[in-house]
Amino acid sequence: MTLSDRDLERYSRQLVLPEWSGAAQARLKEASVMVVGAGALGSPVLAYLVGAGVGRIGVVDEDTVELSNLPRQPLHFTPDAGANKAESAMAKLSLMNPDVIVEPYPARLGRMNAEAMLMGADLVVDCSDSFATRYTVNDTCCGLGVPLVEGGVLGFDGLVMAIRPGESACYRCAFPVEPQEGSVPSCREAGVLGPVAGIVGSMQALEALKLLTNAVLPLLDRFVQIDARTLEQTIVSTGMRPDCEACARVPAATQSL
Amino acid sequence: MSGSQTLDLTGVVCPLNWVKAKLALEQLDPGDELILLLDPGEPIDSVPRSALEDGHSVRVEGTSVTIVKGG
Repeated sequence: MTLSDRDLERYSRQLVLPEWSGAAQARLKEASVMVVGAGALGSPVLAYLVGAGVGRIGVVDEDTVELSNLPRQPLHFTPDAGANKAESAMAKLSLMNPDVIVEPYPARLGRMNAEAMLMGADLVVDCSDSFATRYTVNDTCCGLGVPLVEGGVLGFDGLVMAIRPGESACYRCAFPVEPQEGSVPSCREAGVLGPVAGIVGSMQALEALKLLTNAVLPLLDRFVQIDARTLEQTIVSTGMRPDCEACARVPAATQSL
Repeated sequence: MSGSQTLDLTGVVCPLNWVKAKLALEQLDPGDELILLLDPGEPIDSVPRSALEDGHSVRVEGTSVTIVKGG
């Protein structure tokens, strides 16, 4: 895929990076990414992926914009209250970069439809706000062999992890015990400050660009824990678990071992 | 395949001139030459330096720069 003069100008500040290349930019342009959730994590993820020149982006979110979302979800504006988040996000993103195809999916991703929604994507970024959805996205990406960036925020604590199914630990490998519904407070109950989600979402976008381009090594077989109170980051090593039920679903063709 | 290619980058500002040179270099094999025609001033000051930093050999003659692709 060739880059136009317009592409070269728009993406010049990333193209001049020694780690970046025309080939990396072309890989982004050819890529199709699904982003699950257009809220606090989804806002920075979508803005940076659209900005960087990913070719096609699907946005999954069934929720509507509420006034209480606005402090931490900069893709949504006050007049959007009541609008579907995927649609509201698309309106801003198509102004940000009209060369990117943005497709809104105003639906809830669940066990029944996850595979149909994520099939065909080159990468999935999970910006959902519940453990149930996170495990569903992880298991589905493993089943499809699609790379995934996980991320989560709870209060001042954040987590980011890059996953290549069959090659590196998945979310379930790192966190095999699924929390019972209600045992962990949801974002709505726990509260969150906008910039904390912004940090985590920005890191997710960065890992997504690494997975898509191979320009820099992504955070595989490790995850980063962020304490936003002190800005301390801890890189935690993890690995594939031989008994992981999600990794057992990875199609043979994508397994490198 | 060894070869030589010329790229007229006069009128192209920094850093877009280096972006175009860098993408042209990506298409070449190690040892191939790329000749750039640049504007005086910032372009001739900065583009050869970027090429050196990326591991290529560089020869400057006036506002013409010959880059031999490293590898």
